Amino acid sequence: MADPFADAKVIFTLPWNSEVISAVAFIGNDKVAAANKRGDILIWNLPPAGGKTPDPVRRLVGHTGEINRLLVTPDGKTLISASNDRTVKYWDALSDAGTPGTIVLNDGTPLKGVVEKVDKLPALPPPVEAKVIVQKPIKELAGHKEWIQALAVSWNGKRLVSGDDQGAIIVWDLPAGKELLRWPCKNWVRSLAIAPEGKTVAASQHVPGRDKIVVPPSFHLWNLETGEMKVDLTKEVTGGMSAIAYSPDGKWLATGRGNIEVERPDSRVTLLDPSTGKKIRELTPGHSRGVTDIAFHPDGKHIFSAGRDQLVKVWQLADGKLVRDLGKFAERGYWITSIAISPDGRCLAAADDSTRQVVIYALTGR
Amino acid sequence: MFSFHDKNHLSRRSLMKGLLTTASGLAVANWGALTHSQTIAAEAKRSGKRCIMLYMEGGVSQIDTFDMKPGRPTAGPFLPIQTKVNGIQVCEYLPKIATHADKLAIIRSMKTQSVDHGIGGYHMHTCYPSSQRFPHPEIGAMVAKYCENPDSDLPSFVKIGSGSGLYGAGYLGPQFEPFVVADDGKLPGFANPSVVPDIQDRRGELLNFMEQRFAEQRPGEPFAAHRTSELRTLRLMKARKTFDVSAEWEKAKSRYGDSSFGRACFTAFKLVEAGVSFVETSHQGYDGHNDNFPVHKANLQVLDPAWASLLQDLQDRGLLKDTLVVWTSEFGRTPAINFQAGRDHFGRAWTIVLAGGGIKGGQHYGASNRDGFEVQDNPVNEGDLFATMYKTLGINHRAKHFLGSRPIWATPDGAKPIQELLG
Repeated sequence: MADPFADAKVIFTLPWNSEVISAVAFIGNDKVAAANKRGDILIWNLPPAGGKTPDPVRRLVGHTGEINRLLVTPDGKTLISASNDRTVKYWDALSDAGTPGTIVLNDGTPLKGVVEKVDKLPALPPPVEAKVIVQKPIKELAGHKEWIQALAVSWNGKRLVSGDDQGAIIVWDLPAGKELLRWPCKNWVRSLAIAPEGKTVAASQHVPGRDKIVVPPSFHLWNLETGEMKVDLTKEVTGGMSAIAYSPDGKWLATGRGNIEVERPDSRVTLLDPSTGKKIRELTPGHSRGVTDIAFHPDGKHIFSAGRDQLVKVWQLADGKLVRDLGKFAERGYWITSIAISPDGRCLAAADDSTRQVVIYALTGR
Repeated sequence: MFSFHDKNHLSRRSLMKGLLTTASGLAVANWGALTHSQTIAAEAKRSGKRCIMLYMEGGVSQIDTFDMKPGRPTAGPFLPIQTKVNGIQVCEYLPKIATHADKLAIIRSMKTQSVDHGIGGYHMHTCYPSSQRFPHPEIGAMVAKYCENPDSDLPSFVKIGSGSGLYGAGYLGPQFEPFVVADDGKLPGFANPSVVPDIQDRRGELLNFMEQRFAEQRPGEPFAAHRTSELRTLRLMKARKTFDVSAEWEKAKSRYGDSSFGRACFTAFKLVEAGVSFVETSHQGYDGHNDNFPVHKANLQVLDPAWASLLQDLQDRGLLKDTLVVWTSEFGRTPAINFQAGRDHFGRAWTIVLAGGGIKGGQHYGASNRDGFEVQDNPVNEGDLFATMYKTLGINHRAKHFLGSRPIWATPDGAKPIQELLG
C-alpha cells in the first residue's frame, strides 16, 4: 500500500515556552488550540503552508491548574477543557470577541537533564510578546472533586463524559452542561472514549505507582446510559492507558499504554474489537518509555500515536504496519505530550515538550 | 543479619540462627564496651522511650509536602492547605496530618551530604557517612541498646519490610541487629510452635538442662549467647501473636487506609504498645525523577491516613508522649522540575518531621529560601538531627563506645540537639 504520508513535513513551529504544553486540538482545519500546565489556553490561526509563522491570536483564561485534555465538539463550535482545578470549562471556539491583552511566550524556565546541581532558576530571556484577545469560559462544570484527567465527547455532540482521580465518571448533557449520571470506579480514571454508537464508554483506570501497584490498572466498557459495567477488559489489555480512542467508523477501539514512564520499550498501541473488547493486534515496535496520546486519521485507515521518545508514529490499521515516524527519536526525557489531527486529515499538531512548541505537520498536500 | 523475606531459604533452624544474631540478650565478646554506658542505658530504660521511624524510600519531596512554594516556578501542581496551627500549611493531600499539626515539629532546613540512595540511606540511619568505612550502628540498634526492656519477650528493634535498607548494629554488636519481618508485619508460619505450649515448654526445659550440662564443661560467652538466643526464641514463639494484627486490622484499616504501609503503621503501633523499643517501616516509591506529581499524590493518599492514625492511636493510648515518631527519607527532591515532570535528588534544603516522644510540636524549625534551593535559617545536619532524636529518647548523643580500642561516639563531633524542638 502506498504511503499517503510520504511527504509529511513540518510547516510551522509555534513556540510557547511558559510551561509544558499538555494538550492540543484543532478547531476546524485552520485553527489550533494548545493548553499548558499553568492553566493557559492559546489559539493560533494557521495560514496556508509557506506563510509566516503565526502568533497566537486568542488567550483563554479561567483555569487555575494544569489542563489535561482539550477537545472540540463535533459541530466545531465549542472547545472543552479539563483541568487539575477540578473543573471542565466550555469556550466559544469561533468567537473573536474579548478583551485585548498581551501574552509573554517565553516566561518559562525549562531545565533539561538532571537538575540536582541547579542552585537557582535561570534568568529569563527578554520577553517575546504577542497581542491576543483574552476570552473567558462560557460555561463551567464543577461536579468533580479531584484532578480531571479524562474527557470524551459523543459523536453526536449530545454527551460528554469526564473522569477524575477520585474514580468518578460523570456523564453530562453536553449542550446544557448538566450532570446526568455518575458512578464510582476503584482507580483513578485516566482516559475515556465514547463509542460512535453513543451507548458505550471505554474507561482506563490506573493509580500511578513507582514500585508497588497496590491496585492493578483496569479497563472497562461501561453503559453510558446506566453506568453499568458491560465488559471487564482488564485481563485483555494490561497496564495503565494514557489514551483511548474509537475510530470514526466504529470498527476499532485503540488503547495507548504508558500512563507513567515505564523502564522498558514496550509501550504499545493495542487495537481491539469494539464490540467484544477482544485484542486484534498490538502495534510494534512500540514507543520507548510510554505512549502519551493516540488519534485516528479521518481516512479510516491509519492511527497516529505519540510517545515519550519524541516521536509520532503512523500505523496502518489493516495490518498493523508502521508506516513512518515523524520527528527525531530521543531516548529519554523528551516527550510529545499530545497530538491532534485536523478534521480534513491534512494537518497534525504535536505538542513537543523538549522544544516547548506546537509543531504543525502538513500530512497530505496542504 | 537475617530476614524473613526469603521464604525459600528459611527454616526453623535458620530462625534459631537468626535469633542468635538478632535477639540474644548477651553481649558477645569484644563487641563494644557496654560498661561505659550502663548508667545512661539504665536511665533510658526508666524513661520508657520508644521510637517509630517512617522512612520514605527514594527521597521525598519537601516542596510537595511541608515546604510548599505557592506561586513560585518551583511550586509544582499541589496547593497548600491550612492546618490547625496558624502559620503551618501542608500539601492539600495531607489533610489528616493537617489535623495533627500541633504535634509536628517540621524541620525545613535539613542540609545533608549524601544525596544518592545507598549512601543517603546509610547516612540518614547512622548520622555518619558511609565513606568512613566504619561499622556505625543504625538508629534502631542504638535505641535498642539504650531503651530496650530486657524482660520483654519481643525483639527491641523491628523492621517491617526492608525497603529502607539494612545497615545493622555495627559496633554495638549482633544482639542489636534488626529483627526483620515481612511487609505485613507477620512472622512466617514456621515461627509457630509445632506442638502445644505445655510440650513446647517441656522441650525447652529439656534443652536447657542438656545444654547446661554441656556448658559446664565448655564455659564461654559465645555458648551462653547461643543458649540465651534459644530461650528467647521460645519466648518469642509465645509472643508471636503480637506480630499478627489480622483480627484488629479489619477494624483499623478503614482509618489507616487499606494498604501495606497502613498495615505496617498499625503493626508498628501494636508492637510499640507491646513494648518494642524501635520499629521502622518504609513507604516506597518517592524517587520521582519522572512523573513525580501523580505518583507523589498517590503516595500521599496512602501516607496521610496511615501516619495520622498512628499519631492518633498513640495519643489515645497515652503513648505519644514517650514515643518519638520520625518522618524521614534519605534526602529531599530538587526544587527545579526537570523535563520529565520529575524532581531529582536534593540535600541542600529539605524537610524532616518529628512528633511525640517529648518533641515540642506545632512549629516549624528553620526555613529554606524563596524557591527552596538553599537553607535560609537554622541549617540542620545529620548529626544535629540525631542528637535531637537521641536527646528526646533519653540517650546521650555523645555516648562513647569502642570498636576494639578505638573510641566512637553516638553522633559526630560538634553535633548538637536542637533545643527549640525539645519539650
